[in-house]
Amino acid sequence: MSNQRVVITGIGAISALGAGAGHNFEQALRGRSGIGMLELAGGRQRAGLPAAQIRYPLPELIKASEQALFDRNALLGWSAASEALQQSGIVPGDDLSADSGVFWGTGMGGATTVEAGYVDLFVEGKSRVRPMSVVAGMNNAAAAQIALRCQFKGTVNNYSSACVSSAQAIGEAYRHIHHGYAERVLAGGSEALLSYGVVSAWDALRVLAPANADDAARSCRPFSAGRSGLVLGEGAAAVMLESLESAHRRGATILAELVGYGASNDATHITKPDVEGQQRAMTMALRQARLDPSAIGYINAHGAGTAAGDLVETQSIRGVFGAAADKVMVSSTKSVHGHTLGAAGALEFVLTVQALTSGSIPPTAFLDQADPECDLDYVPLEARHGRVLQAAMSNSFAFGGSNVSLIVQRY
Amino acid sequence: MTTSSLPTVIELLARSLDIDPASITGQTELESLGADSLTVIEVIFDLEEQFGIQVGDERPDLKIVQDLADQIDRRIAAGAVAP
Repeated sequence: MSNQRVVITGIGAISALGAGAGHNFEQALRGRSGIGMLELAGGRQRAGLPAAQIRYPLPELIKASEQALFDRNALLGWSAASEALQQSGIVPGDDLSADSGVFWGTGMGGATTVEAGYVDLFVEGKSRVRPMSVVAGMNNAAAAQIALRCQFKGTVNNYSSACVSSAQAIGEAYRHIHHGYAERVLAGGSEALLSYGVVSAWDALRVLAPANADDAARSCRPFSAGRSGLVLGEGAAAVMLESLESAHRRGATILAELVGYGASNDATHITKPDVEGQQRAMTMALRQARLDPSAIGYINAHGAGTAAGDLVETQSIRGVFGAAADKVMVSSTKSVHGHTLGAAGALEFVLTVQALTSGSIPPTAFLDQADPECDLDYVPLEARHGRVLQAAMSNSFAFGGSNVSLIVQRY
Repeated sequence: MTTSSLPTVIELLARSLDIDPASITGQTELESLGADSLTVIEVIFDLEEQFGIQVGDERPDLKIVQDLADQIDRRIAAGAVAP
């Protein structure tokens, strides 16, 4: 079995921070929050909740005749994927298309299309749903549309593991190329589930932060003493992963190298995070990368802003990093782009890659009240610039006990 | 059958495909408009909603825009004589 090195030749992102990977990174560096009060389409509102909602018109990337085929999830997905594809310089339909795949993550896929169908049937009293409900609502819709448009005819896999979905997609894509099954994989994920039904379900679980009384933009405060839960967001992000050989053959610009992927399951509780489970994922990624923890200069934390989650992640990092834990910079960009669920791993990985390549570390915004129990360097409030990093880690943890850790290294 | 659904068919096709309705006539081939089978299913759904009819499971051979209008007209006529 081959052991190909895997490099990143394109990145893309769209979130409440804006469209474009670079723009998302700039906003994250500035600590500009994309969070505001949730405004659901249609008449029903879930009052009092903040959300990281995309309020601007989405880039016009598909034809009017294709609209019915696209759930918002796939629209966001194609926005990020097409950006990554374009940056990589790969032309759809070239002679490597059979060795190119798409690995995509989403928590609930076309949930809003499914919900719209239920509204037609159960609320409006109609006897039928829109004809494209199946092809727009199916969980592989985004991946399939991406493959179709990129003319990537190799393996197309879908990952649905709640909040690690897209991190898992990237990690499995890494293994896919590493072991020689494909030359290139467009990997990432998307999530668009700010609908009345889905938000109500999250609200019922009592994990959502209430709106900050002074400023809704400040509602998600990871690692802060006053943190009160997560803030739902929507978005998508993608990376073009490629074997080093393929990138060299094309003369592609290499942004960074993906060197480590660790995945584990807590198998302890359906929602409660577990130190040992998280540590297994981080340790596996470090071992794969053949890196000592001290080589990691920055960790983009899962840091969703829940009381239990942020504390457990802190303890996990301490356990794995030992003395190096006091030196590593750790931040949660969820403070500004919210928790984009199935897209979160990819969005945060794209920010991590940019932190590594630029030497600028995005802060944990709104962290002005330290929690004595969360005692790492969370890069509070202000970005740090001019840092030379060898490698950086992105952590993602999920309901269901799934943990994923990705490590990217300078190339 | 006193009125034809053709103008509505043309209007919905034009909107769905984002093209000028003036470029479509009854004799225009659906395929030449870039209307694949899924587009036609969508347009038929919208026509059903518009005219309050159900085309049902009929799958006639639809080649030109007039074929689509004829199918809708037949349904409207059938609905008109229904009790």
